[in-house]
Amino acid sequence: MPKQKINQDWFKLDNSAKIFPSVSNSSETNTFRVTVTLKEEVNVELLQEAVNIILERYPMFKVRLKKGIFWAYFDYNSKPFIVQKMDHRVCGEIIPIENNGYLFKVLYHHKDIAIEMFHSLADGGGVMQLLKSLVYEYLLLNRKPVTPDNIIATKNDKPEFEEYEDANAKYYNKKNRKHIPEEKAYRVKGTYLDDDQTGLISGVLNTKQMLELARKNDMTVTEYLTSVMMYIIYKTQIQYREHMRSNEKPVKIFVPVNLRKHFPSKTLRNFTNFIKTNMRMDKPDISFEEIKVLVKEQFSQGIKKEELIRKMSENVAFEKNVFLRMTPYFLKNYVLKIGFNMLGIKLNTMSLTNIGRTVFPESMKPYIYDVTAAIYAGKFNTIGCAIVSYEDKFKITFTRSIIENQIEREFFRHLTSQGLDIEIESNYVEEYS
Amino acid sequence: MKYCNKCHISIKTNHNYCPLCHQTLEVTKDEEVVEKYPPYQGKLRPVKDITRKILMFISVTSIILLLVINFFTGLDILWSLIPIGSILYFWILMTVGIFSKHNIAFKLFILTITLIFFIYMIDELSSSEGWALNYVAPLLLGSCIIAISFIILIKRINYRDYITYLLLIVLFSIAPIVLILFDVITVLWPSLGLFVLAVFILLFIIFFFPKSIKDEIKKRFHA
Repeated sequence: MPKQKINQDWFKLDNSAKIFPSVSNSSETNTFRVTVTLKEEVNVELLQEAVNIILERYPMFKVRLKKGIFWAYFDYNSKPFIVQKMDHRVCGEIIPIENNGYLFKVLYHHKDIAIEMFHSLADGGGVMQLLKSLVYEYLLLNRKPVTPDNIIATKNDKPEFEEYEDANAKYYNKKNRKHIPEEKAYRVKGTYLDDDQTGLISGVLNTKQMLELARKNDMTVTEYLTSVMMYIIYKTQIQYREHMRSNEKPVKIFVPVNLRKHFPSKTLRNFTNFIKTNMRMDKPDISFEEIKVLVKEQFSQGIKKEELIRKMSENVAFEKNVFLRMTPYFLKNYVLKIGFNMLGIKLNTMSLTNIGRTVFPESMKPYIYDVTAAIYAGKFNTIGCAIVSYEDKFKITFTRSIIENQIEREFFRHLTSQGLDIEIESNYVEEYS
Repeated sequence: MKYCNKCHISIKTNHNYCPLCHQTLEVTKDEEVVEKYPPYQGKLRPVKDITRKILMFISVTSIILLLVINFFTGLDILWSLIPIGSILYFWILMTVGIFSKHNIAFKLFILTITLIFFIYMIDELSSSEGWALNYVAPLLLGSCIIAISFIILIKRINYRDYITYLLLIVLFSIAPIVLILFDVITVLWPSLGLFVLAVFILLFIIFFFPKSIKDEIKKRFHA
């Protein structure tokens, strides 16, 4: 990959970003949201000022999407960015034209500051860094004595070249890029909500209790919650109906892995891969223990370096394909759309993403109440789950595009039956659906 | 704070039922709270407005009607293409020219090119005297070039966005010269005048904005 200059005003899309503009629409929005809840009401003018400051620090986000002859690209956006009041939509489609061309939104609602990001521009790790910087500048403008403590990039830091790199292409290995065909996954069915409605239910747990519970089961938190998820899907959707044809497909949970933890890279752009659990639930008596063993095994297989590089290289190799590269963009758009709708989207039952522990400097902690993450729920993956923790608050957020909520109910009931205290937050979508 | 004794969860809300099991919540501490998420505000994107629907309906029915009448009056003269073309051009004018939020250079470019094709079709279907390519096309392209150049001169802020379309229209303006070589165009002065204007603008861009052009090409053509 040729070196890009730091002061340049346009960027290529990175490997995983290239697919999203072609396959996103009002129901498959490919957006996600990260929220920081402060302890006092948000001041809109100061927030707007903080955003303006922070966009100068992160030129990578001050862009709009433009179409080239062969690929789309991010071009410098000279229009002003405007913060918006949060409405009932959760991870709705980001329509650039309504947004001055920007591919993300900064939303406020009482004490919440949220960023809703189109997945093409960055992944959870990148957005978390942006949000931390934003909250830092906001608190600073609010005359709070906060210090960055090397955790937060402030307006005075110079953007680094490494923040823009396409790290997938960097770790691409030509020899290790075998394509392994996959089976279609089981799909959670239900009655659809309208496109602009999303059901949201979060549960706030105690971090210590959650960690202890996972440790008691000899698993990591992500592994444990993935197993619970598999078990609940089995219990609520499949058990005693496993002979039905639609239930024969394996349940697959897509768990993103933050590759910054496995490969040295400071990029803000997409640098995630995934682990996938896979289980065909064709018996009436599958036990939780059985699922736990399988999930643990599949996680340890999926997290191996060679496997991660293989999955990464598989995607990069696809992008480097000469025929695909030389196809004009408008045709490529159709190819990607059809290919993705036929294959890509049907390979997962749902996504469960664990953004992990958010760390703020000691001086900022008194002003921050908690952190929430949410991912979109589409027509095929009707349910999504995002997990994030801050201090003693461990937050599991479900988003759904269907009216039925048995999975959430049984999931939280399973956790309470293990002796955990849970506080629920919901947007009460049933009020208007 | 409220509590659901069926799910064993607590919740801060003004609603009185549990979001998980829809059973009545027990009030443990009576207080007015701020809802964590905003309430529903109705459809935020308006449905297609009624004028648009009516116009669409009229357009589609008249296109079908015209085709049917043309079919029964003999297919050797395809006269119906002229009114059908007008209807389609009306829609392009409305959607691209007036209601889209693209920049003005893009609008001018698209409208000029489609108009040339439409005018050429009218000429061919009527008496095919060649006035469309001889006079109208070069003059339209010429005015488009002058218009975009003036916009760039006046609005200097976003010239990078406009320069691509200026370049494209300049390239299109060289086409009449090729048509002269194939004897399609018989009247020389409009096409030659246009060619001189196009070359002049092209050289101007190359001499004064070399970096912008290089950047634009690099951006748009990276594979």
